[in-house]
Amino acid sequence: MTHFTITSAPADHGITLYTLRNAHDMRVVISDRGATLISWWAPDRYGREADVLLGYPDCDGYLANPAFFGGVIGRWGNRIANGRFTLDGVDYQIDRNEGDNHLHGGKGGFHLMPWQVQTDPEGLRMTLASPDGAAGFPGNVLASVLYRLDDDGQLRIDYTATTDAPTPINLTSHGYFNLNGGAGDICDHILSIDADAYLQVDRRLIPEKAANVAGSAFDFRQPAPIGPRLAWPDEQLSVAGGFDHCYCLRRENDVVEEPGRKVQPLRDVATVYDPGSGRELTVSTTENGLQFYSGNFLKGVQGRAMQPYAIHDGFCLEAQAYPDQVNTPEREAVILRPGQVYRQTTAYRLSVRK
Amino acid sequence: MTRVPTVHRIALLFNGNKIFDRDIIAGIGEYLTSTRASWDLYLEEDFRCRLQGIERWQGHGIIADFDDPATCEALAGVHLPVVAVGGSYADAADYPQAIPYVATDNFKLVKLAYDHLIEAGLQNFACFSLPKADVNRWAQEREKAFEALMQRDGIQGHIYRGVGTSAPSWDTAVEQQIAWVRSLPKPIGIIAVTDARARQLLQACLCAGIAVPEQVALIGIDNDPLARILTRVPLSSVIQGTVEMGRTAAHLLHQMLHGARFADTRILVPPAGINVLASSRHEARNHPHVMQAMHFIRQYACQGIKTEQVADYVGISRSSLEWYFRRELGRSVHDEILRFKLDAAKRLLQQADSNVADIAVSCGFTSVQYMHAVFKRELGCTPREYQEQMAGDAPPAVALSRKKSPAVGAILREHNV
Repeated sequence: MTHFTITSAPADHGITLYTLRNAHDMRVVISDRGATLISWWAPDRYGREADVLLGYPDCDGYLANPAFFGGVIGRWGNRIANGRFTLDGVDYQIDRNEGDNHLHGGKGGFHLMPWQVQTDPEGLRMTLASPDGAAGFPGNVLASVLYRLDDDGQLRIDYTATTDAPTPINLTSHGYFNLNGGAGDICDHILSIDADAYLQVDRRLIPEKAANVAGSAFDFRQPAPIGPRLAWPDEQLSVAGGFDHCYCLRRENDVVEEPGRKVQPLRDVATVYDPGSGRELTVSTTENGLQFYSGNFLKGVQGRAMQPYAIHDGFCLEAQAYPDQVNTPEREAVILRPGQVYRQTTAYRLSVRK
Repeated sequence: MTRVPTVHRIALLFNGNKIFDRDIIAGIGEYLTSTRASWDLYLEEDFRCRLQGIERWQGHGIIADFDDPATCEALAGVHLPVVAVGGSYADAADYPQAIPYVATDNFKLVKLAYDHLIEAGLQNFACFSLPKADVNRWAQEREKAFEALMQRDGIQGHIYRGVGTSAPSWDTAVEQQIAWVRSLPKPIGIIAVTDARARQLLQACLCAGIAVPEQVALIGIDNDPLARILTRVPLSSVIQGTVEMGRTAAHLLHQMLHGARFADTRILVPPAGINVLASSRHEARNHPHVMQAMHFIRQYACQGIKTEQVADYVGISRSSLEWYFRRELGRSVHDEILRFKLDAAKRLLQQADSNVADIAVSCGFTSVQYMHAVFKRELGCTPREYQEQMAGDAPPAVALSRKKSPAVGAILREHNV
């Protein structure tokens, strides 16, 4: 059961901030610009509160949001090689906004759009109409996210989308976490990911092939600290300047059948524990992919503290389809067709290990 | 056709009588199971390290604990790939030269303990170290870390090394420890450089009637289950990242066996966690009667004590004690005793294959039925259900620490030199 209150407050640039508050006074602040996670106030082992999300000092930062702080990413989260794909025999060229790659929905991605807040007894629901041709994608897409915060500290994000013409779709949430609330970087955080394989990337950061994690710096099947793993000699870490790779999450046998689509049941896929604060983040999702990003490009980004962020000051765990999947044999799984409903659920739960 | 992988002969030079070394070996074992790398491991039968003749050993590689300078010297003339494991040093010049080194981050171990004591509300701090010796340079490094933190925060810290442990000097050692603790401002938070050291000090405090954690909040390093079992007040401790150190060392050596060279690679592994138990659960509490009563309850709750006995120990009437408890804690003496028993039972139930009936007895419940009733009332489940819930919900790290060294038994094959 979700028991929480929602309050709203106007901010600059016509942006409204919504606060979800649970019975233990945990608070999640969400902006209607990009349906963006702004702050998540959570207690540490000693009951002391801190904001565990990275973000800009004011609304201005979110108008361009070059770091993609906290936003809902769409219509395509992650990369598409050369911004090209073929759908039902038609070639498409979409926005290229990272060298030759398409990244995170292009120049007018979902994270920059004003979303409409809908009255919903279940939680904070926001919708976005993405017109045919937006960023070069075909079809009018109607996307919706529902944010709920329960008394166990779980923030559940339910995404749905429909379309009037076939289109690739891959939505995700791009929150940057730092479980110590910014007292230090995330190198001492201890990560585990339930995945036997990850996607190795080329110089463009486009996946080349799946590789077994065994014996490599990427093996988080048993919990391991992030910092020392960054120090392991590994070619893939050098290519990406750290972790910026998609894990192939272990799949359950009992898939949930949807019209024309199959999804995984919601299951726990990753945990991150910060020994200093005692905070622990548990990620669960219906998706097959989990992008682990170790904040490799944070240096110099001005956040809410006096000092700008430094490298590895935050991490992202983005549940999604595989990067560039639209150009792989598994492409059909990421195509949404008229009459189908895209559904994705990802939940982040914050707790404390005493 | 399956290719038979090359078998490498690897020596592990560790002192497996210490939890630190054992967990590193477990990490090496875990790495080997996950990769199916084929290593014939050379280890002494008692898992102790003997260096005689190591330079003539016909093998392919070595992982060794470099905390002991003798190991460092003995391996100086060895031309095989060697990965060193040990404590971190504040001064880069103190590391062995031209050898990859995987270290436990001594500064972060002490800092985690210190941050915890600060959060517990303490303002005075001390460090219980060891007499300076070549074999425990890590203890000096932890002292240095403590000093650096004190200096950073402008606090006058207290460091005591005491004497080495030996049976004939034991009584004197304990007396000196008591004298030292008595001389310190109170309340004080003390970081011991190991759990073994913390256990000695805890025992000294209990002998001298110094309340832990009210007067002295104590935390060790190692999270050694043995030290926990041997203390009446459960000992808080910082957990080292030893398993990850083992995996890292194995990974480096694995690469070196295939030609990679990492002469200048130094990987520092942060602590894996902190196990906060009663010895450091300091709460600013003013009234000495309550403090003394808590001290008594903590030690004897599981032996079936009643409010009468607590009042007797404090030396005031039962009704006065109840009044102080209500005022300071908002609960009765009986509630407090029960809370300790319940906590103890919960801890024991988390251990695999524990028996509910035995736990009821050892936690001072008069019957299994009574423990059932208390669990139902306080937690809404039976002890059995609680046990199952814990077994199912265990976060990965806890699950890992519970089934230590999954692979070691299966992999290790001892050979003679």
